[in-house]
Amino acid sequence: MKTRVSILVILAMVTFGIAPVKAQDHPVKFHLDYNFSFPVGSMTSGFISNTSSRGFLGSVTYDLTPHWTIGGQFGFQDYYQKYPRRVYNTDKTQQISAVMSNSLQTIPVMARVEYQPLLSSQSRVLPYVSLATGINLVSYNQYLGVFSNQQQSTLNFRAQAGLGARMSLGKTGKWGIEAGGSYVVSPYNKFGVKDLNNLNAHAGTYLRLQ
Amino acid sequence: MKTKMSLLAIAIAMLLITGCGKDPVANLTDEESRIYITDHDSSANFSDFHTFYVSDSVAVLENGKSKMQLTEAGQAYIDAVKQAMIRNGYTAVNKDQHPDIGITVNRIISTTTGVISGPSYWDMYGSYWDPYFWGYPGYGYYLPYNYAVYSIREGAVSLDMIDLKNAPESGELKVIWTGLIRGSNIYNPVVADSQVKALFDQSPYIKSL
Repeated sequence: MKTRVSILVILAMVTFGIAPVKAQDHPVKFHLDYNFSFPVGSMTSGFISNTSSRGFLGSVTYDLTPHWTIGGQFGFQDYYQKYPRRVYNTDKTQQISAVMSNSLQTIPVMARVEYQPLLSSQSRVLPYVSLATGINLVSYNQYLGVFSNQQQSTLNFRAQAGLGARMSLGKTGKWGIEAGGSYVVSPYNKFGVKDLNNLNAHAGTYLRLQ
Repeated sequence: MKTKMSLLAIAIAMLLITGCGKDPVANLTDEESRIYITDHDSSANFSDFHTFYVSDSVAVLENGKSKMQLTEAGQAYIDAVKQAMIRNGYTAVNKDQHPDIGITVNRIISTTTGVISGPSYWDMYGSYWDPYFWGYPGYGYYLPYNYAVYSIREGAVSLDMIDLKNAPESGELKVIWTGLIRGSNIYNPVVADSQVKALFDQSPYIKSL
């Protein structure tokens, strides 16, 4: 596996050329990543435990120093799970038999700070750790058969800790690729679900804007 | 330029991949689309009833108006209800043989308000099924439980079970059980039996001794 990654890195370097990144000249970066999300914790108890492959992350960051970066992050993730038909007791005397589907979308907007232990002069692959906090716009819809049963949009707190690495590419070093993971904490307290915590894996690209 | 084009392509690809999220109901089959709702009078002892009669036509309810109709699908529903009742130990009799239970079959195409609720269904029930039909002119229908409000824009089939045995004593036509089927392709003779069976399966208390 390590060999394959090394070969990919060398191929990328040969293809796009090696050029030093002058981060101090271009401190603003735009990032766009494809995101996988793996629900964990309370969310998986009869609500949604399916992995979501329908998501993205975007962020605009500013390099304060060669080691520290701040910025704003936004994103979108769509979760869905269908449960087989069963009979639900909705009242003392009322029963509903239905296939139930839970659909949940999250749109996080967060402030982000990042620490990069290595300098670009030391390595082409730069690992980082990050922290972010902000709000999470959560839209939930439950369906019985094709009929919407419950619907609610809420604003919730969200925080995340992550780590990853990025590598500059291109002759000018103005863009590159990145990949990482994060753990998200997001309290919810609706419909018997205490939180929407999840693990994420993302990969994408960045571009230095100025 | 090449870099910008690459980034633009990646951005467009991501938007296409994520889209607007998965449509939760787009991939449901007809069977998965259907829901079956039943409610009943908790004070009714269904084993006290022994005979029943199912209406020989279907009330078609549309925007506050009704008409009686008998199509192939309607007949299939009537037959399916008869079979379900017989399986549960009841005896089918003619209307003039004083059945203990009367059952109506109704097709709801749409309502003026788009919902089926007390005002839009039960308050007009006497115009769909004149109490005279059961031999009790002047009586009123009584629903001893809360009938939930459902949006009906796509059509539904309902079955209602009326206590005729105790009507002379109580002076009213008490609705002791209701069943409602909603979803895709339900008013179809091929599926009538399975739809009625689903309602009875989730109502195991409907048993005659």
